[in-house]
Amino acid sequence: MDAESRFRDPATLFFQSDHVRRYIIASYWVLIALALPLWWKTTSIERLPLPTSEVYTQAQRKLEIPLEICVDSTFSSQIVSLRDAIRVAASYLDVHINTGQDCSMSSTLLVFPGYAVLPGEKLYIEDRKLYYPSHAENLASTFTSLLATKMDRRAAQYSPRYRLSFTLLNEDGSAGQVITGWDIQQAIARHIYPITSALGILHNFTIESQVQFHAPLAFEPQSFSNEGTFGLTAENLTVFINSAEWVLSSSSSNDPVLHFVLFVPSATRRPLEILSPDGTPSSSSAFLIPQWGGIVILNLPAPPPNTLHLTLPELRSSFSSFSRQLSTLLGLPRLPPSISYSSPSKTALSPWQVDTLLRQRTRENVMRSHDTLRSTVTLVSRIDSMPVDEQVQAQVQGSLKALNELFAYARNNITLNEMLAYSARALTLSSKAFFHPGMLAMLYFPTEHKYAVYTPLFASAMIPLLAAALREIAAWRKERREARDARVAENANVTNYDLKTDAATGAPVAR
Amino acid sequence: MCLFSFPFSLWFPLFLLFPLTISNASSQHTNNWAVLVCSSRYWFNYRHMANALGMYRTVKRLGIPDSNIILMLADDAACNERNRFAGSVYANPGRHLDLYGENIEVDYRGYEVTVENFLRLLTGRLPPSFPRSKRLLTDSSSNIFIYLTGHGGNEFLKFQDNEEVSAHDIADAFHQMYEGGRYNEIFFMVDTCQANSMYSKFYSPGILATGSSVVGENSYSHENDYDIGVAVIDSYTHYVLEYMEKVNKTSRLTMADLFTSYDVPKIGSHPGVRSDLFERPLGPEHPMNEYGRGRGWTVQGGGEWMGREMETEKRERKLTEALITDFFGGVVEVDMDSDDDLHAFEDLECPASEELTSSPMKASSPVAPLSPPASSSLLDMYPFLRPSLAFILLGALFAFVFSGIFSTRS
Repeated sequence: MDAESRFRDPATLFFQSDHVRRYIIASYWVLIALALPLWWKTTSIERLPLPTSEVYTQAQRKLEIPLEICVDSTFSSQIVSLRDAIRVAASYLDVHINTGQDCSMSSTLLVFPGYAVLPGEKLYIEDRKLYYPSHAENLASTFTSLLATKMDRRAAQYSPRYRLSFTLLNEDGSAGQVITGWDIQQAIARHIYPITSALGILHNFTIESQVQFHAPLAFEPQSFSNEGTFGLTAENLTVFINSAEWVLSSSSSNDPVLHFVLFVPSATRRPLEILSPDGTPSSSSAFLIPQWGGIVILNLPAPPPNTLHLTLPELRSSFSSFSRQLSTLLGLPRLPPSISYSSPSKTALSPWQVDTLLRQRTRENVMRSHDTLRSTVTLVSRIDSMPVDEQVQAQVQGSLKALNELFAYARNNITLNEMLAYSARALTLSSKAFFHPGMLAMLYFPTEHKYAVYTPLFASAMIPLLAAALREIAAWRKERREARDARVAENANVTNYDLKTDAATGAPVAR
Repeated sequence: MCLFSFPFSLWFPLFLLFPLTISNASSQHTNNWAVLVCSSRYWFNYRHMANALGMYRTVKRLGIPDSNIILMLADDAACNERNRFAGSVYANPGRHLDLYGENIEVDYRGYEVTVENFLRLLTGRLPPSFPRSKRLLTDSSSNIFIYLTGHGGNEFLKFQDNEEVSAHDIADAFHQMYEGGRYNEIFFMVDTCQANSMYSKFYSPGILATGSSVVGENSYSHENDYDIGVAVIDSYTHYVLEYMEKVNKTSRLTMADLFTSYDVPKIGSHPGVRSDLFERPLGPEHPMNEYGRGRGWTVQGGGEWMGREMETEKRERKLTEALITDFFGGVVEVDMDSDDDLHAFEDLECPASEELTSSPMKASSPVAPLSPPASSSLLDMYPFLRPSLAFILLGALFAFVFSGIFSTRS
């Protein structure tokens, strides 16, 4: 009897009473129902809508940059050919040619940079004025060579920021005659700064410099003739940069770097000359690697110099090579050799060159941001699992906005600088959107894979829950049926015996 | 065509500007990149490490600078406790050549070799904190050689016994690269079991692909070294590398020469080629027509080559043939300055030093500085919070429901 009393009758346990048990089972299902949206939310990919149709419309628009030319009436016969030539060479220019007024004044009055063609003794440019001999007939080709040149294919892609890295490399300091220093600040200020300041509206430049004392070449330069001269063949030049052992720039930022290397050959290996294709030493000691940078080889004079410090005059020829290479890498068009430029302030870049570069870069940026925006929306629509978050959305919209403003203002008198600023902004934002780290599509999983992952996880939990729920529902229905049966029987009894009070208390009436 | 519409006088000075241009001229690319991935780890996968390092040595020998090579390597073989030859990785039983010895720059090492990093590397969607050496800084004029090795299966490649990259993922990543203008041409090579399935899902133009074995076929290891105690290299890679030894920087060997060098009885599996997305012909008619036929090739109608039927048409269009050096070369172009240019810049100098006092480096930028992306929420900063938050909420719900039940007892 004691043993029996120790265990309570299951029917008396509070949680075994029907409604508590059902409450517990129902709570599981309520929980699942509440958790489902949460689970859906946390596992679904956030894909915010992108302005797809706007992007496609924008991408089809063609940029037309206004170009005002005031032509002196002396040249009125050449206007048609001039307009056609510019149209053909640069379809992105919207040429307006004025004639019949006093052109010597107009170019300074316009907000938008206008150009003037004036009769002159010889062919030269001054500010934005072109003086052209009145008897010459080839105004159109002169103009296209000034304003509608093609972008140099050696130029680096546009970037709002560039890092210029100047390195003085001693091939082998231990061989003697090592250069320990150079007047780099003065050399940069004298040769590089004129370019960087003139192009300051295009790019933001950071400049760094270093001197290294051991920079071995990855190959043996061949010795030719018996005079101890060493030569670099064309093939050698392509592998000249020993990037495994030379550290040419600090990696403190991800801005594109343009490298400038002043290479001082080892004392045992000089003079080191570049060979022209026919095998004779070339008179040039500089070469350029497209989009990468420039290299100048500096052979020290035969009697070893007393000073181991390169002074400004000694750096002059090397740095004029660097400045030429820099202007090539930045895509600065050159003045045709036939045109001389007289500048009062002796800044060697004419506004014609800078303006042309600005137009080319603006056009390039607009085209690139069109491409990037279009690629972004096509990719997002093509790859279903690619997330699009708020930042990407905002960047795409920002890029579109900048482009819209650029196009809206291109008709008005917006300056080239502002146009470039808008295009650069559009480009930066669109590529930021495209390369946003959040835009990584989740890994592709085949359907079988999903079943294989989810089944062991959920089936083991769901089966007992389902079974309990089904059993409980079955029991409940059975109960209800019994209750109804009982009630039917009772009603029958009530009619038989006509006993309302018994039915009200619910006490079963004996049958 | 439009080239001739210009007056000759305009073009003439242009020719003077490029006095010396060394260029392969067969392909529109100006730089070459290589992505070499060994997706295995642990000592018994020594051979995969050796595969990747052998390929690394070859691309470097052919002139791709280290800065343009992204090497993803578990890198646990050279300094493994079980390696009798510490600090060395050999790819042949005689141990003639130490692949690890000299200058090895592993960009993604150990646990950094993940599917996510690989796909981020390709698509360029790396967090801003990643250094240059871990980025594929290519543009639309880059040719990229991508080499994968590891354990794989039908349409997947296993990464470090932990996760898998599927053929769909790589195909999508390549398409994103295409849309983003990140390559000119890709040469994709994969050495794994059922490797040819890895390139079957590609759909972006400009991709040439080759794999070591057809679907349902293993890719085999080549040789054991009994002192090292494991297989030292895979067969397919071994014979590709052996062939590449014939190639030098100025070689004119074509891709067709490489593909027709596949020797099935030696390799032990049937390598495949896919060129239907690639624009240029793989080589002259003679070797390429022989591809997949003859000794050892048991496949009916020749070895697996998607795009075989397009080859004649490509050749008829007189497109330049795909050279091996198009993908394995170094800097492909150098321009030398001509002397007459020099004088134009001689006088490019600031007039006098009084201007120097104004600081020269502050070139103002017209672009309004883009504000850094708005500070992200806590959930974005700590991604693990998301699942744990769900757990906490679930727990709270449980607690709430049960407390309700228990309180009814009293």
